Amino acid sequence: MNQHKDLLPQRLRPLESLIQEWRWIDKGRAVMLDVKRDKLVEVARILYKEIGAFFKTCAGVDERPLWGGFAVYHIFGIDEEGLDVVIYVKIPEKDHPWVPSIVREVPAADWCELEFRDMLGIDPRGRLTQRLVLPDDWPEDVKPLRKDVPYGYRPPRAEESRPVEAGMYPSGVPVGPYHPALHEPEYFELYVEGEEVVDVRYRGFHVHRGIEKLAESPRFDYNKVTFLAERICGICGFVHSCAYVMAVERAGKVEVPERAEYIRALLLEVERLHSHLLWLGVAAHLLGYDAGFMHAWRVREKTMILAEYLTGSRKTYGMNLVGGVRKDITPEKVPKILRVLEEVAEGTKKVADMIVSVPQVRKRLEGTGVLRRGDAAALSVVGPVARASGLNRDIRKDYPYLAYKDVSFMVPVYSEGDNLSRTLVRVEEVFESVEIIKQLLDRMPPGDILNEEWDIEPGKYAVTSVEAPRGEDTHFLITGVGRPYRWRVRAPTYANIPALRPMLRGQELADAPITIASIDPCFSCTDRMLVIDVRTGKRSVLVTRPKVRVVSLG
Amino acid sequence: MVKPILKLITVAKEVGVVTRKYPYESPLLTEEFRGKIEIDASICWGCGACVKACPSNALTIRESMDVMELVYFAGRCIFCGRCADVCPTGAIRVTKEFELATDELEDLEQVVIHRKVKCPICGKHFVPQPLEKYVCEKCAKGEIPTYMMVCPECRRKVGVKKMIRCKGG
Ligand code: SF4
Ligand code: SF4
Repeated sequence: MNQHKDLLPQRLRPLESLIQEWRWIDKGRAVMLDVKRDKLVEVARILYKEIGAFFKTCAGVDERPLWGGFAVYHIFGIDEEGLDVVIYVKIPEKDHPWVPSIVREVPAADWCELEFRDMLGIDPRGRLTQRLVLPDDWPEDVKPLRKDVPYGYRPPRAEESRPVEAGMYPSGVPVGPYHPALHEPEYFELYVEGEEVVDVRYRGFHVHRGIEKLAESPRFDYNKVTFLAERICGICGFVHSCAYVMAVERAGKVEVPERAEYIRALLLEVERLHSHLLWLGVAAHLLGYDAGFMHAWRVREKTMILAEYLTGSRKTYGMNLVGGVRKDITPEKVPKILRVLEEVAEGTKKVADMIVSVPQVRKRLEGTGVLRRGDAAALSVVGPVARASGLNRDIRKDYPYLAYKDVSFMVPVYSEGDNLSRTLVRVEEVFESVEIIKQLLDRMPPGDILNEEWDIEPGKYAVTSVEAPRGEDTHFLITGVGRPYRWRVRAPTYANIPALRPMLRGQELADAPITIASIDPCFSCTDRMLVIDVRTGKRSVLVTRPKVRVVSLG
Repeated sequence: MVKPILKLITVAKEVGVVTRKYPYESPLLTEEFRGKIEIDASICWGCGACVKACPSNALTIRESMDVMELVYFAGRCIFCGRCADVCPTGAIRVTKEFELATDELEDLEQVVIHRKVKCPICGKHFVPQPLEKYVCEKCAKGEIPTYMMVCPECRRKVGVKKMIRCKGG
């Protein structure tokens, strides 16, 4: 950024007359625009459609203890400038707060608007609303993220059940959405005509854990939340913990030793290795090619052991603290790391080559689950999903953080947008990660790894984005006293699930499981699908393996 | 059609059997692995620093009239080792133990019991004995240790009285 400090960045000039005030936040990485409610939709439209910013997320905040009202923050990013833009809208009402909805201009804001409606009772006006995050039996008048609701609040149990609303097509027997045995409860309804999928309905958020609320509670402090953040995801937990500590460090102006930034980046890449190899294995498994699954996981196991060797734990590394990391990478460890990297690169090459050369596997990946570039951009999708649809988006390049500015690597981009492209993007990224780790090891500066002398001022902001294996993970943080005042997390799958609708429409039912898995949604959703035949209205449950599967390899 | 199978066979032949026959063979652990923690009761002062740092409430303090218990419940532990980082006496050791499955909940608990010091003025129990002992040892001999033996409340009262006396009130 070579903009003048006192001038609104060039790209944002068209908004000058519409905003009240603006300021730099987050050590000059982001701009915050104060916008009046009646100008919000116009500002969002120009930012999204004319300036070409991507939508990241929005957050509602209960600011009544601070100045008497509520607030909504819409967070956009201009990739080419590496600049985050935060629209800040104040809502003066203490009761029945509302903001105009921007969803017509910015479709990607759909869920997060519903989320602040559920969690804070801020009504997004001018759109259809329904409950998204809160369970159906949650009391109407309790808005959990409001500051006057205690964090340990548990509503009374529901006494009666309500009938489930039928979809837009003939109804039948509602089954699910909880599955006791399989990964995570997410719920899809696929509407089919014969073998063809004509529409999809998704219902998720069954395991909302209230993590954002917990982090604001008195039993947490800045350092403890790091471990909580790591538990958001079992696969890319370190991404979340990095995004969180970086947010605290940037908002609180905490100095971080350079060596710590290198170690964090290195571990992020180790995590990407394991995640992509895990995905490759599961994809093979979903296509009925279990030999591929086992060999992919055999290679992945090396990365798990490496992670334990470097951090003390295979997953949930527990490495981050505000101000740095807890364990150094000593010179004795380097040769072993390099050896493992060689083995992983070589193993991945063989296994990936083996998997995609199986004709049955290849046929089911090629041309299926296509996400066109236009749809991908409109939905602001992230990560390998975006890159497989021709969007060259990678947070590591676009908003360089940690040590990524010091390494060179390629960002694989494919234009086909099908399941094969998404597979190839991930496979190529494995090799890039190996190269990144080697460069990091080579250039790692000596010195301290942890700065424990810090003091964080309340009321400061930061927006951090980290490229997780499944795409951009965004955290937004407002500092408080001793702990975050508000911490908003937007995991990558959140941005990618809406893209499943265009991907699945019009394709064969048998390809649905792999298509759903192709966004790498932690896989849970693949095993819970309700199939409804539009002509007969008959409902049945589809489990992981559809009837059509690759049986023999001969 | 033959090619992919051949590729598979080549790869499989090359790597051979990789599965470790755990539990008949040793588990796959590196020397860095963090497992359950162990508290050395003979070193612990009962200062509570570990309780304050523990992110998951696996360490808690149970207080009764004259006893303070430091309770470690492995069932909540996330094996982060933060407690060992902050412990001023080095009483906490991170072990490599991870085979914790049990059908008795108590197996997952370790309790360190500290008697509390009795205040010579009001008779109330306050800090754990080892902590008091340490603080007394650290301080110079003289007037301070007498105050040290007194609970914070009585100490305040005595202090105020003394101050008033000094001012000649
Ligand atoms: S290892 Fe971590 S979770 Fe376990 S007791 Fe220590 S601080 Fe608590
Ligand atoms: S284990 Fe260490 S930190 Fe915990 S109470 Fe004992 S002395 Fe204090």
